[in-house]
Amino acid sequence: MSVEASRLNAVRAEVRQWLAANIPPDWREQQAGDNIEGFLASQREWLRRLVSAGYATPHWPGQWSAGGGRPLAEQVAIFEEIARADAPRMMLYFVSLYHAAMTLVEYGTEEQKARHLPAILNGEIWCQGFSEPNAGSDLASLRTRAERRGDHYVVSGQKIWSTLGQFADWCILLVRTDASGPKQAGITFLLMDMKSKGVEVRPIRQITGDEEFAEMFLDEVEIPVANIVGEENQGWKVAQTTLGSERGLALVELTERMYGSLWRLVGLVTRNGEEADRLDDEVRRRIVDITTRIEGLRALIAKLMTNRIAGSEAVGDASIIKLGFARIQRDFTSLGLRLNGMAGQRFSQYTLGAGYETGNWMFDFMNSYQYNIAGGSNEIQRNIISERVLMMPREKQG
Amino acid sequence: MTDMQIDTEELRDSARRLLEKEVDRRARYAEPPREDGALYGKMAELGWMLLTTPAEQDGLGQSFVALAPIYQELGRALASVPFAGTMAAADVLACVAHASDLLARIGSGEAIFAVAEGDGLALNGSRASGTLADVLDGCKATHLLLLAEKLFVIDLSVAGVTVGDVTTWDRSRSLADIQLDNAPATILATGPDARAIVRAHLDLAIACDSLGGADQALTEAIAYMGTRQQFNRPIGSFQALKHRSADLKVALEIARAFTNDACEAFVERREGWASIAAQAKLLASETYHAITEESVQFHGGIGFTWEHDCHLFLKRALLNEMLGGTPEQYRDRIAPDILRRAFAGRA
Repeated sequence: MSVEASRLNAVRAEVRQWLAANIPPDWREQQAGDNIEGFLASQREWLRRLVSAGYATPHWPGQWSAGGGRPLAEQVAIFEEIARADAPRMMLYFVSLYHAAMTLVEYGTEEQKARHLPAILNGEIWCQGFSEPNAGSDLASLRTRAERRGDHYVVSGQKIWSTLGQFADWCILLVRTDASGPKQAGITFLLMDMKSKGVEVRPIRQITGDEEFAEMFLDEVEIPVANIVGEENQGWKVAQTTLGSERGLALVELTERMYGSLWRLVGLVTRNGEEADRLDDEVRRRIVDITTRIEGLRALIAKLMTNRIAGSEAVGDASIIKLGFARIQRDFTSLGLRLNGMAGQRFSQYTLGAGYETGNWMFDFMNSYQYNIAGGSNEIQRNIISERVLMMPREKQG
Repeated sequence: MTDMQIDTEELRDSARRLLEKEVDRRARYAEPPREDGALYGKMAELGWMLLTTPAEQDGLGQSFVALAPIYQELGRALASVPFAGTMAAADVLACVAHASDLLARIGSGEAIFAVAEGDGLALNGSRASGTLADVLDGCKATHLLLLAEKLFVIDLSVAGVTVGDVTTWDRSRSLADIQLDNAPATILATGPDARAIVRAHLDLAIACDSLGGADQALTEAIAYMGTRQQFNRPIGSFQALKHRSADLKVALEIARAFTNDACEAFVERREGWASIAAQAKLLASETYHAITEESVQFHGGIGFTWEHDCHLFLKRALLNEMLGGTPEQYRDRIAPDILRRAFAGRA
């Protein structure tokens, strides 16, 4: 075994041991959908434990976190172990630890870093103010405008799909500072204190009944010029760092969770996986197919991460796994719902922060649209794959 | 296994170069059909039939991982050679005493094996009687490896054996019906896994063949859509075609990743290797089918002609999907294993 491989195995063993001792056994009950206070408390406590063990920030530079400075291969291993152990997801803090923190690490001033990075470790919650009602797939057409007045920007507009924005302390915000040139060239990246005057946040009730996202109405919000990240009108470039900050780790985790919850599907129709030969043929065949696709996706993601670690990732690889995951997840949850029969039609309480594998199949199926739409919809991914991987001709631009 | 691992990417390149030169994929679709008689001999000259023979038996000591790129390139080229059955037979012969002569003749290209499931035959001591239908490469083979409760080798040149050619829609392959009438059958003293090893080898060979063909068919369809002009633009610029192409690309990459992993699982005899190989066969051959079915549609009218090569890939894909059993039979066979494994993954 190579030195790296045995080092990775050692990391896995450490993480596994730590998880066994630290996952709150009742976290699913604590994070029930009808108990927001319980959810927040449970997430805070989980972050605190992960931070003290160093497992919340393996991707941070070592100078900002004792647990930081780990190579990508170890970050992948940590996420896989967290998923395999069925630990809660760090739902409330994901934007803080990845999108906000990594953008600050790359583009933030020393003051910004010193102010926010330690605060994030202490539970400062961030949300993302990128999408707008009329700037979804075409994000660069965003219109929330910012005018500079002295040492402040004055910002007005509307943002949408901010994950858990109703609980956020700060927001990474994209605004338009110049409307005269190409749309990407007039965007600026700001840090907004959510307590600022003129910020109104309304949770969005989703098709699940759950409120995981929020919209934000900004009315003449004053943001100090010192809160700019990067240069004025250079925000599009900064935002690319934000969007790439999790480096595929979320998909590693989610795929591993989906793989790890195949037993729930099998458990619907067998007794502990046995007596499979007494099942209806068609049901068994569908389970074979979805299992094979999930295992194939898992192998593909492993290969992508290996390439990424080696620096040999190809253009469009990320879109291929994003689209593959989204489609398979929808088919997986849809099959679960079907095999659950009438029982799946009865409302029952769901769990927050468990990803798409809560065992509540209707909730998981409805929720699966999230991944098929957010972060570049399936249709956008298909455009990217066909034009940048398959090199098919571009459509005439509208 | 030796310390010398052959670089599989070099092997892939050299296979692709040879096959580009040697294979005319339309030869067997010509009237009258032409055979690529020389290719198998050239493959033997390059030592491909010795790749997985252990070094102590004068082979090259490689694992199945070295064969995978060759199977893929044979699929890409739509080559018509009786390679997979022969190499699957070599896998078990290498573990049997007194088979070194046969193994050496496989290595030189003289001995060619077809493989058949023989459960329905009457096996009487060292004699076999009955009919075997649709045996892949049966008319090119010199020997038959019969899979029953035990494994048997039958010399196809002896009295009591009648091999009848079957005409198939996929002309890039040959099937045969074989009639055995008290034919001499030599029992092989194999380990308990031998039958599963042969099946898994063939499953992975078909999976690899499918990946190579699917990759080539998709590449050719994309190239066509980039040049075919309608409404003053290449049809490949239409989103309706691009989005379907993107979905097929995703399916292909997932099938490829699964198959590569399944090849390693086979070599390592990782838990579940036999059903994993069957899963690879299912996934890759169905993906091949999906890509080639869409490819004809992408091409429009020209894709519906005999003259165009679209149907060559489609017909090979459709046969691949049926070889070894229907997709439904495959699923039913592996389902208990898959369900048990899935349930065992419970955190």
